[in-house]
Amino acid sequence: MSLILMENIVKTYLSAGVETPVLKGIDLRIEEGEYASVIGPSGAGKSTLMTIMGCLGSPTSGKYILDGEEVETLNDAQLSRARNEKIGFVFQAFHLLPGVKAIDNVMMPLLYCHKVPADARERARESLEKVGLAHRLHHSPGQLSGGEQQRVTIARALVNDPRIILADEPTGNLDSKNGAEVMRILDQLNREGRTIVIITHDPKVAQHGRRTISLMDGRILEDRRHESVTQFEGSPSRAGSA
Amino acid sequence: MRALRNLKEALRGLALHKSKTLLMTLGVVIGIASLTVIVAIGEGAKAKVLARISDMGFGPEAFSVAAGAGRLFFARTKTPTTLTLADVDDIRAMPTVQAAVPHQRQSMRMVYKRNNTFTRVYGVTPEWQSARLWKLSDGSFFTDEDMKRKAKVAVLGATPAGKLFGDEDPVGKMVRIGKVYFRVAGVLEKKGVTESGFDPDDRVIVPLSTSISRLFRQTWLFSIRIHTLDPSMVQETMEGVRQLLRKNHNLSVFAEDDFRFITPEGIMEWVTAEERALNRMLVLISAVSLLVGGIVIMNIMLVSIRERIREIGIRRCFGARRSDITQQFLFESIFVSILGGIAGCALGVTISFVLKNLHVLAAKPTWESFVVAFAFSAAVGLVFGIQPARKAASLSPEETIR
Ligand SMILES: Nc1ncnc2c1ncn2[C@@H]1O[C@H](COP(=O)(O)OP(=O)(O)OP(=O)(O)O)[C@@H](O)[C@H]1O
Ligand SMILES: [Mg+2]
Repeated sequence: MSLILMENIVKTYLSAGVETPVLKGIDLRIEEGEYASVIGPSGAGKSTLMTIMGCLGSPTSGKYILDGEEVETLNDAQLSRARNEKIGFVFQAFHLLPGVKAIDNVMMPLLYCHKVPADARERARESLEKVGLAHRLHHSPGQLSGGEQQRVTIARALVNDPRIILADEPTGNLDSKNGAEVMRILDQLNREGRTIVIITHDPKVAQHGRRTISLMDGRILEDRRHESVTQFEGSPSRAGSA
Repeated sequence: MRALRNLKEALRGLALHKSKTLLMTLGVVIGIASLTVIVAIGEGAKAKVLARISDMGFGPEAFSVAAGAGRLFFARTKTPTTLTLADVDDIRAMPTVQAAVPHQRQSMRMVYKRNNTFTRVYGVTPEWQSARLWKLSDGSFFTDEDMKRKAKVAVLGATPAGKLFGDEDPVGKMVRIGKVYFRVAGVLEKKGVTESGFDPDDRVIVPLSTSISRLFRQTWLFSIRIHTLDPSMVQETMEGVRQLLRKNHNLSVFAEDDFRFITPEGIMEWVTAEERALNRMLVLISAVSLLVGGIVIMNIMLVSIRERIREIGIRRCFGARRSDITQQFLFESIFVSILGGIAGCALGVTISFVLKNLHVLAAKPTWESFVVAFAFSAAVGLVFGIQPARKAASLSPEETIR
C-alpha cells in the first residue's frame, strides 16, 4: 500500500469570481521510506500540492489516499488527527510560535494528541537533542539563529513520530552552511527510514533525494529516480555523526 | 483533557500579550465595580432598614398610628389635635389589641447646671418600657403611681445623660426641661447611632400625664403604638383602628384620614426607595460598562486573531481541531473578563467602604458580590468571546499558513 496515492488531483482557486487553476491533474504515488523532491519554477503549484498532501486543504477534484485513508471522507477532527499523527511539516519561514521556548514549541504537537503522552516534555527534549539543540531548550525563536530555528522546526515535525515529513523549501531562508546542516539532518532521517518529501526550486537540494518530481504549470513534467547525493555543496560531509 | 490543555495555551497567550490583556479587562473592571457597589448598597439599605425598625421597637405584631395625614414619619400638615386618650381607650377595647401606648412628643431644651442640650421629649405611659423592651442602665422607670400623681420625673436617654452630666451620676439630680424642673429617675441603656445616622439615645421620657398637664400643656397625642395579640391580626386591626378613628374624629366620607400608619413594611419600603434612584443609575453604568467592556474584549480579540493567524495555522498544521482553537480563544476572553471581574470587585469593595466611612451611604459589601461579579464577568467573556473564537476556528489551515 502506498503511503501517498493521488489520482487526477485538480486544484482551482476561486477568488473574487476569478478561477485560478493551479493543479491540473496530478497522479502521484509515494511509498514508505522514499526520499522525494518536488521541483519546479515559482508558481508551478508546489506549495499547493504540499497543502493537499498535508491535509491542510482539499483538492477541487480527484482522489487522495493517505496511508490507506481517503482524505475526502474525513471530518475536521479526523483530519486534525491525521495531521497530528501522520505528518510533520517543515516550512521555509519556520513558523515557530513566537515568544515560546524551543522545548514548548517542539512539544506543541503532542498537546493535540488523541491522548497526551505522559512523557511529552521528555520526548520534546529528545527530539531537540536529535537535531543537535540540547543546549537551546529554553531559548525562544527570537533568541535562535535561522539555522537553529529550522532545526527546531524539524524537531517539532519529528516529535510525534510521523509517517512522513513534508518540507517546503526547508533551506530557502538559510545560508549555505545552515542549509547544509538542515539537509544533513533530513538525509539522516531518511536513512533511518523516514519518508521525506522536500519541495524546492533548487536542483542541488533535490539531488539529496532519490526521486525528483518536476512540476510545471500544475502538471507533472517529469518523475525521475536517481542516486542520492548526500553531500551539500560547500559543506564537509558529516553524515553519520548524528 | 483537551479543554485543560487549551486553557493552558490560552493562559500562555495572555501572558505573552500582557498590555493587551490589561486593556481588555478595563471595561469589565468598571462594570463589575459598579455592580459590586450596587449589591453593597442594597445590603446596606437592608441593614439600615432593619436597624431603623428594631430601633423603633417594632415587632411583627405591632404598628403605630400617628396624628396628621401623610406618610410614615412625615406629616403633610401641622399635627392636628384630634388624636386623644379617648381614642386610646377605644383602641384598647378592641378584641385583637394587646396594648396601646400613647405618645406625646416635642423637641425641647434641657439644662443641668451649665450644660444644656436640645432633645426629643416623649410623654408616655409606664407600659412603654415593657412594650419597647428597653432596659435601664441606671435608676428606675417611672411608675403608675408617678403617672397618677403627674410626677415631675424623667428618664434620660444615654445621649442627653452624657451631654448634661458627663461622668456624674444623673439619678436623683434635678434637670430643667423647658421651664419645668424634673428629677431624674433613671437612664436608658445606650443603643448607639444606627447605620442611617439616627441617634435613638437622644431622648427623654416623662409620664404622659405630666407632659399633658405640666410640660407640653396639650391634651392631644402625637402617636399611639399598638401591639396586637398576633402578627396575623395586624391588617384587620389596622382597618378597625382606621374605622374607629374616622368615627371618633367625625370625618365625613369624603375627608381624608387625619392620621397615618407607621408599619415595618412601610419603613422598609421608604428606606429602600431612598436608594432606588441611585441604584438605577449604577445599574445603568454597570450595564453600559459591561457592554462596552464586552465590546472592547471582542474587538481586541478580533484584532489579536488577525495578528495571530499564523499561530492558529501552525497549531492547525500540527493537529489542533477547530474546537481546540475555539476553546483556546474563548478561554482567553473568559479569563480576561474574570480577571477584570476580580479587579472590579476589589475596586467596588473599596468604593463601598469609602462610601460607608464617609457616611455617604450605608454600603455593606458581602461575599455575594463576589459571586455576582464572577458570574457576570464570566458571562461577558463568554458572550463577547464566542464570535472571535468561532472566527479564529473557521479559518482554513491552508489560508492561515501561507
Ligand atoms: N488562495 C489563492 N487564490 C488564488 N490563487 C492562488 C491562491 N494560492 C495560490 N495561488 C496561485 O497558485 C499558484 C501556485 O501557487 P504555489 O504557492 O503553489 O506556487 P509554488 O510552486 O509553491 O511557488 P513558489 O516556488 O514561489 O513557492 C500561484 O500562481 C499563486 O498565485
Ligand atoms: Mg511555494
